[in-house]
Amino acid sequence: MKDVMGLIYTGENDIHLGELTSQRAVAALPIAGRYRVIDFQLSSMVHTGIKNVGVITQKNYSSLMDHIGSGREWDLHGKQGLVMLPPFLTRENMGVYTGLLDALKSNANFLRLSSQEYIVLTNSHTVYNIDFTDALRDHVESGADLTILYTHGSKFTGTDSENGTYLSVSEDGTVTGMEIGSAVPTRECASLKIYITKRELLRQLVEQGAANGLHSFERDVLQRNINQGNLKVHGYEYKGLACQIDSIQSYFNFNMSLLNSDVRRQLFPADRPVYTKVRDDLPARYVEDSQCSGSLVANGCVIEGTVINSVLFRGVKIAKGAVVKNSIIMQDAQIQEGAEIDHCILDKQSVIRRNGRLIAPAAYPIVIAKNVVI
Amino acid sequence: MRKKQCVAMLLAGGQGSRLGILTKNVAKPAVPYGGKYRIIDFPLSNCTNSGIDVVGVLTQYRPLELNAYIGSGSPWDLDLSNGGVFVLPPYQTGKTGEWYKGTANAIYQNIPFIAQWDPEYVLVLSGDHIYKMDYNAMLRAHIKNGADLTIAVREVPWEEAPRFGILNTDENNQITEFEEKPAHPKSNKASMGVYIFSWSKMRKYLEMDEADPNSENDFGKNIIPTMLDAGEKLFTYTFDGYWKDVGTIESLWEANMDLLTLPMPIDLYDKRWRIYARNPGMPPHSIDSGAKVVDSLITEGCEVKGVIRHSVLFAGVTVETGAEITDAVVMPGAVIERGAVVRRAIIAENAHICAGAVVGEETGKIAVVGPKATVAAGDKVAAGVQIDADAQ
Repeated sequence: MKDVMGLIYTGENDIHLGELTSQRAVAALPIAGRYRVIDFQLSSMVHTGIKNVGVITQKNYSSLMDHIGSGREWDLHGKQGLVMLPPFLTRENMGVYTGLLDALKSNANFLRLSSQEYIVLTNSHTVYNIDFTDALRDHVESGADLTILYTHGSKFTGTDSENGTYLSVSEDGTVTGMEIGSAVPTRECASLKIYITKRELLRQLVEQGAANGLHSFERDVLQRNINQGNLKVHGYEYKGLACQIDSIQSYFNFNMSLLNSDVRRQLFPADRPVYTKVRDDLPARYVEDSQCSGSLVANGCVIEGTVINSVLFRGVKIAKGAVVKNSIIMQDAQIQEGAEIDHCILDKQSVIRRNGRLIAPAAYPIVIAKNVVI
Repeated sequence: MRKKQCVAMLLAGGQGSRLGILTKNVAKPAVPYGGKYRIIDFPLSNCTNSGIDVVGVLTQYRPLELNAYIGSGSPWDLDLSNGGVFVLPPYQTGKTGEWYKGTANAIYQNIPFIAQWDPEYVLVLSGDHIYKMDYNAMLRAHIKNGADLTIAVREVPWEEAPRFGILNTDENNQITEFEEKPAHPKSNKASMGVYIFSWSKMRKYLEMDEADPNSENDFGKNIIPTMLDAGEKLFTYTFDGYWKDVGTIESLWEANMDLLTLPMPIDLYDKRWRIYARNPGMPPHSIDSGAKVVDSLITEGCEVKGVIRHSVLFAGVTVETGAEITDAVVMPGAVIERGAVVRRAIIAENAHICAGAVVGEETGKIAVVGPKATVAAGDKVAAGVQIDADAQ
């Protein structure tokens, strides 16, 4: 067993995801045809050998709770396993976190009662499949207090710079500067907002930060300590694929990028499968005159019409004569006979009725909310 | 262990030799079926859906893959603190110990397992058939009839009746006579090999049977006739749903093709009677822009660039550009390289069909490429031929 625990913060700002996150946390957003965003963070931790994972939830966490259940699908139903950390109300704590630092302070007990020496702390809106073992080793060898995983800015798809944090990393891997939410970033190393540190040190940083009335872990703890030289912060360059899901466009682009088999291979290597809640659907059914090309199709789909360049989640029905192009259709949605859609994102169980047409411009995909019938 | 009303015993020890190369290294219940299942998923799911939560799986022949597949039983909700699925291989007792000699002997050797649960009834199942059946409805009929043994039957076409174990009954479904493969059948009620015994009677007759040195220790040949002769109350329970034997290459292929009929003769979309399976955890399948897929079932993890017609593809199958697959069953992880042609065939797990090879013919018997076997580039595999990886 590795001496490291995991913590996933799911309370981040998701305003640019609009309707997609009005009823759920980003962590619970369906993605890649059968997954939820958090599956990627959880699976990465599990493949690293992490057995103790906390998930800090904030708003609308019922769909997240439903998805994760006992953690069994990720093999996290053991003696330590998965701990859901929903907000709670006490005299000092309003249950509404102003940021990661606040959330960590509220869950200080979980940190205190865990036993592992190291912790991997991550957000929930970045999709990746990382074995953290190498980064952990690098962190220990560097002798740093804290390591930030970053990737070269040009590789980090999805983010617009205002949501991004960029780092200056010296040749020996020391993080010397940090800029947050800059419209025109001057640095090239994009922070993945994944941190590795000692659990005890994180506790101290949280206690000190809270005692000083601070709120933002990034701005008030990391940036300040880096600038003042109080903390030795190391950068670990992750060279694989990572994508931030922080807007409707980035969500759309990421899903579409999976139509490329190289991208799929990077995100779903055979030796590190991404686990998710199993639905027990049967294989997808194609009928006699169905047409499908350049698409990803999940189990349980029934395809009678035409599907081009699209991602279909589990249990989607495309009726005879229906045409689906460049679209993302979440589980159990239906496109009825003769309907036509292009550049749409259909949330779960939505229905496009007979002969309906929804054609959106490529630059601005339309989102149809959950359960909506058009 | 707390008491259970009914315990299921699944006979999974047979070789299934009629499946040829497909069961050379695995037990028959572990043979893949229907794109994402294995045969054993059907009886296990039927048990869990029927509320029967103690299932003993009696294994003997090549059990490794089956054991790994069953694991803790969690895919079928059979990992319980009081109950669950238990793999039961033959074991040594003191200085003795022996293989399972027959179906009845296999249960006899596990009397201590059954007795742990102090059950009223014991359900005996086999791992040879694709069907969805409510065993609890059968149990209710057994209790209502005050039966000692209830045998599930289905009414087969009269001309096929001579191939089965046939049960003759009175108007109340009480069994009057049992005939194994009668030349001139008096009834068309064929035994499905699904039995419910009242436990006290079962125990008595198993012990009697074991004491008889001339017995073949078989339910059909020994236990049932003996119980009938002794005047015990035996009833039939008629099942009229889809029921398919998958004991031969041809019937396994047919049972897969049945799923391509519309409407599906066995409703696997039914949310109230899900058939559960262990999930391979792969991403959705990809249909490339040059591919064509019609009238087929395609499972997660497949990468399809060729042409698929009237076929069932299991998880993680790769079909390269220009390959053509028609009327075929392609099991997990198989690779069909560019330009290869597969017709009326079963391609087993992780088999590899190299570029330009031709497997099967448009008519005739089903061709089989065994697990991990390779068909070299440009080679032809004729109808009815089986390719064995170990012979390569």
